[in-house]
Amino acid sequence: MLRMKLKKLKPALTSRKDPREENGSTRRDLVKFLVAGAGWAAVACRSHPALSAGTASPVKTNILRPPGAVPEEIFPAKCIRCGRCVEVCPYESIVPTDIRDTIYAGTPLIDVTKIPCYLCMKCVEVCPTGTLSRISQQETRMGLAVIDKHACVTWNQELALCRTCYNVCPFKEKAIKLDQLRPVVIDKFCTGCGLCTHGCPITQKSGKKAINIEPIYSFKPVKW
Amino acid sequence: MTSRSAKKAFYGRFRLFCLATAFCLILVVPALNKYLHFSFIQGWFQSLSIGHLWFVSPLEGIESILTSKTIYAPLLVGMLGPVLLALLLGRVFCSWICPISFLSELLDRFIRLVTRKRFRKQASPLPRKLIWFALLGEVIITLIIGAPIFVFLSPPGLVGREIMMATLFHTLAIEGIIVVIVLLLHMASRRLFCRYLCPLGALLGILGIKRRLIITKDPEKCVECSLCKKACPLGLDPATGETTSAYCWNCGECIDICKTRALTFRW
Repeated sequence: MLRMKLKKLKPALTSRKDPREENGSTRRDLVKFLVAGAGWAAVACRSHPALSAGTASPVKTNILRPPGAVPEEIFPAKCIRCGRCVEVCPYESIVPTDIRDTIYAGTPLIDVTKIPCYLCMKCVEVCPTGTLSRISQQETRMGLAVIDKHACVTWNQELALCRTCYNVCPFKEKAIKLDQLRPVVIDKFCTGCGLCTHGCPITQKSGKKAINIEPIYSFKPVKW
Repeated sequence: MTSRSAKKAFYGRFRLFCLATAFCLILVVPALNKYLHFSFIQGWFQSLSIGHLWFVSPLEGIESILTSKTIYAPLLVGMLGPVLLALLLGRVFCSWICPISFLSELLDRFIRLVTRKRFRKQASPLPRKLIWFALLGEVIITLIIGAPIFVFLSPPGLVGREIMMATLFHTLAIEGIIVVIVLLLHMASRRLFCRYLCPLGALLGILGIKRRLIITKDPEKCVECSLCKKACPLGLDPATGETTSAYCWNCGECIDICKTRALTFRW
């Protein structure tokens, strides 16, 4: 009796499906899986705060995009991570990010506290995608220098004769002026190159300087 | 090796020479840029510039256009060269230029040296059509996430980026592990990534469906020894005319191996 049952079972156990059919189903499943997975990943990334922190732009105070960069909203979409701006930069100011910045991986950044931008405008010439638009030195708006009046010695102390930021500014008397020997940034002309931040002798506990570049132009909404 | 067989491995040697030249280019260019500020030649196979002649990899360009929803004329001009190459010659970028191909080819030669076997086993664990779905899936994922993913995860691009990172900053990016994974997959099964998963290969394959350069078989000369099938890095069977399909990347391995010279490139 048992043997008979086993005999009946045997073909069912050993029989195999048509390989083509098998392949068809696995392929479809794979595509479904990929599409569904991507959908869920995208929804999760946008909605969940812990994950959306991971997809936040790496651009922040003193960490800027190269000159002429499009707003952060479309920067990761437009940039093809070819690294030509990184390669052409003679000062090695531009450093690419890696996969820790998720979808921003491979995009160029300038940490002005390490090496600022000297506005040689070579990177905007080589960008093949228009992510860095071709602009002149004066038109560059990588950010805006903001003086921390609590940290700056000329503002918080009497008789401190520091004017490093004024001296190093490439648009002296336009972007930074002296008001009773204290530096003042004129936002109309500040390019955000970071030479002042790099030169500033004050480093606060947070790592910021007494004059910092805020990337306010990187977070402008994009007009379609 | 007789002189005849040496002469016959023409395409194999020529191709290895091309691959090595292309690899040397991306190996040397970052150093030239860094130490000599020689920016006449720039970049790698995501975007390469020789003077004012710019090339942009088609898939990366298309991803950029699709996700940013803007069109930039220099980008289109840059894509023109590679697209024309693919339209006329098919997937030749993959077999004659791609740095992953070069590394795989070196690995192949090394394996051949160690195992002392002429051919590696042709295992095809997956359906060949998967490559089209890889392209489709990649584009869909890109559009859902809103950021091109092949641009920072493409193995050929990563080879270039890692070389640049090593030369310019004396460090490596973490995602370079993908290159190692692709090469390990190649160790497991010949050209697994190129065969089934490379979206760029799929795009170039689609562009090259009506290509001018194809490998054709002279049925009178063919003795059906199936050597060509064993030699094909993509596991195609040139004897049944699979070299005229979109899957073939015109590497010429089958032409080299054919003893009766039944297979030839035809324009």
